[in-house]
Amino acid sequence: MTEVVTKEELDEAFAMFYGMAASIKDLVSEPVEVSDEERVAAAKRVFLKGIDANLATQLEACVHCGACAQACQFYLGTEDPKYTPIHKLDLMKRVYDREMSPLSWIKKHVLKDITADDLRAQQELVYDACTMCGRCNMVCPAGINIADLVALNRSALSAARLMPDELRYMQEAQAEDGTIFGADEDLFMFRVQDLQDKLGFEIPVDKPKAEVLLLTSGLDIHLFRDATGGAIETLHHMGIDYTLRTDAYEGANFGLLAGHEPTKKMLTEKLTKVAIEIGAKIVIVPECGHSFPAMRWGAAESVGHSVPFTAMTVSEYFGKAVMEGRLKLEKSKEKRVVALHDPCKVGRGGGVFEEPRAILEAIGWELHETESNRAYNFCCGGGAGNFLIERADKLKRAGYRIKMAEIEKTEAQSLVVSCGSCRMNFEVGKVKAGDTLPVESLAAIIAAHLPKKEKAEGEAA
Amino acid sequence: MSLLDFARGPALQWAGIIFVLGMVWRTLGIFMLMRSSPLSANRDNHLFEHGVRTVWSRFVPAPVFEKKVSFQYVAGWIWHLGFLVVLLFYKVHVMFFEGLLGFGWPALPNSIVLAIAGVTLGVLLWLLGRRIFNPVLRYISTFNDYSSVIITTLPILTGLLTFTHFGIAYETLLAIHMLSIALLLVWFPFSKLFHVITLLPSRYVLGVKFWRRGVQA
Ligand code: SF4
Ligand code: SF4
Repeated sequence: MTEVVTKEELDEAFAMFYGMAASIKDLVSEPVEVSDEERVAAAKRVFLKGIDANLATQLEACVHCGACAQACQFYLGTEDPKYTPIHKLDLMKRVYDREMSPLSWIKKHVLKDITADDLRAQQELVYDACTMCGRCNMVCPAGINIADLVALNRSALSAARLMPDELRYMQEAQAEDGTIFGADEDLFMFRVQDLQDKLGFEIPVDKPKAEVLLLTSGLDIHLFRDATGGAIETLHHMGIDYTLRTDAYEGANFGLLAGHEPTKKMLTEKLTKVAIEIGAKIVIVPECGHSFPAMRWGAAESVGHSVPFTAMTVSEYFGKAVMEGRLKLEKSKEKRVVALHDPCKVGRGGGVFEEPRAILEAIGWELHETESNRAYNFCCGGGAGNFLIERADKLKRAGYRIKMAEIEKTEAQSLVVSCGSCRMNFEVGKVKAGDTLPVESLAAIIAAHLPKKEKAEGEAA
Repeated sequence: MSLLDFARGPALQWAGIIFVLGMVWRTLGIFMLMRSSPLSANRDNHLFEHGVRTVWSRFVPAPVFEKKVSFQYVAGWIWHLGFLVVLLFYKVHVMFFEGLLGFGWPALPNSIVLAIAGVTLGVLLWLLGRRIFNPVLRYISTFNDYSSVIITTLPILTGLLTFTHFGIAYETLLAIHMLSIALLLVWFPFSKLFHVITLLPSRYVLGVKFWRRGVQA
């Protein structure tokens, strides 16, 4: 692999980026004043529109057994019962019971209506204390999909204009200029140029037609250039007909994370339209966990019909290529012992488990699995945009500790991840906890193990 | 009309009617909330088969959770099964069902039923205690939870008392037992006991949703 960013450059960029993230709270606009009645009405509208027979069945199935607490990093890390996953749905259940359920005619008289203060209190539960990781879904004897229902709670709070400031800032900024952290077109092109200089080949941008549309993210443009650089280098190596696009490069979707439905739809729709226009068969989303569900499950919904492409995440696309023999990787000289973090939105939320493992096997690294792995993996502690919420710091650290304890038990020399925000959260967690375990991008690892060019061209033909 | 006549006459009949109507009403009410299905392509097919797999697989916890939740799964299993066995295989109950349905089935010896009823009662009381003393359970529990476990326990308790002719007249004990059953029937459709209808379909919903994304839930 060509080194696209040195350790010093990365540290420097990280410090700058961390400062930028920390200043978000000071930059956020004044919240729009809305009456309490309007907040309650808006939240209820979202709940009532979002609940269908499937969700109602799930809401009606809970036996209050408390098992879900035993799966949630935030309960396990704090032992505070208020972080019991099912409690995060109580408010929504009350709206359902009073206004929608078959027993609403009784429940209306028994249960208190929700108030704006209830919604304010709910903010901590469904943003700070839930990364929508879905681990609780895996233990519940009733199979209740708490993570997806928390997402509906975020949408309701967003409609009630009660998003946490940091996520509101990110959502508003992205609604305005389509990208995050100010990674506008100029900066995007600067980064492309920078990568091009380092990689030594031309990176296709704005090709009118291409088989593969590669997305990146503001986080990678600023910080994790090795991730985007690794994906580009590997696509080039494989001889794939791909392009980056100035009108569709940002894979992150803070509409989705904040629960802001109009922004979520607008961003996904924009990418989807470009992908269709250029005739892409595959859209590769960057190493950014939530950009996968945004495109994989959201693209068709955003345009209202099925789409002619498949959205894949970096680890999935290249992992499949390895599994199918289309991409050969060189064995590493060093037999390194590594642990792997399955990002929740890609693993438990997308079924991408074997692909990253196939890559590690191909390069001959020894994977030591964490006790909870694949569909049972613990979240990094800061997913779903939580890594930006300042006041959630204690909770994030609690989640991080649980995750890191499992990783440490594996005695791995480094941790492999394929999600920028997980990586970010691990890096911040390490600094705060004084940990030193190296955290590496899977895309960068792939690029570092590409065979010599001559051999590769023969294979790609 | 004696208390026993009332209990096994109008009380049980009305309770039965309320039970059936309530269950149908609530089930249909949920069914009518059906909406359209997702537009994005599934990552894997055979959704039905995998939905059913999740319905079965959730009867036991995944290995990674065993240490934390096995005992409560087991406790749940024991009392649900115990309750069913006593309900369906106690000799007097079999005779009752035979009168109602026109056919019967072999009953279990009284001593076995008695032991099972005792264990079931013990587990239910232990679960009630746990609900009161475990911080998580206490935090999430509502009137619905406490009342439901008590109302479920009453028929077993009163049944045991009737069987052992404990204290007061047999007829009175039997009437109380029947009234406790009537209470259970009436409470059923309006409480969390309704999960007998929703729990397995809820697992199916999760199984399908996850398998659509390529994950065996
Ligand atoms: S594990 Fe499931 S059934 Fe038990 S309390 Fe949590 S959500 Fe309810
Ligand atoms: S989705 Fe994850 S963070 Fe949220 S309640 Fe469930 S286990 Fe906890």
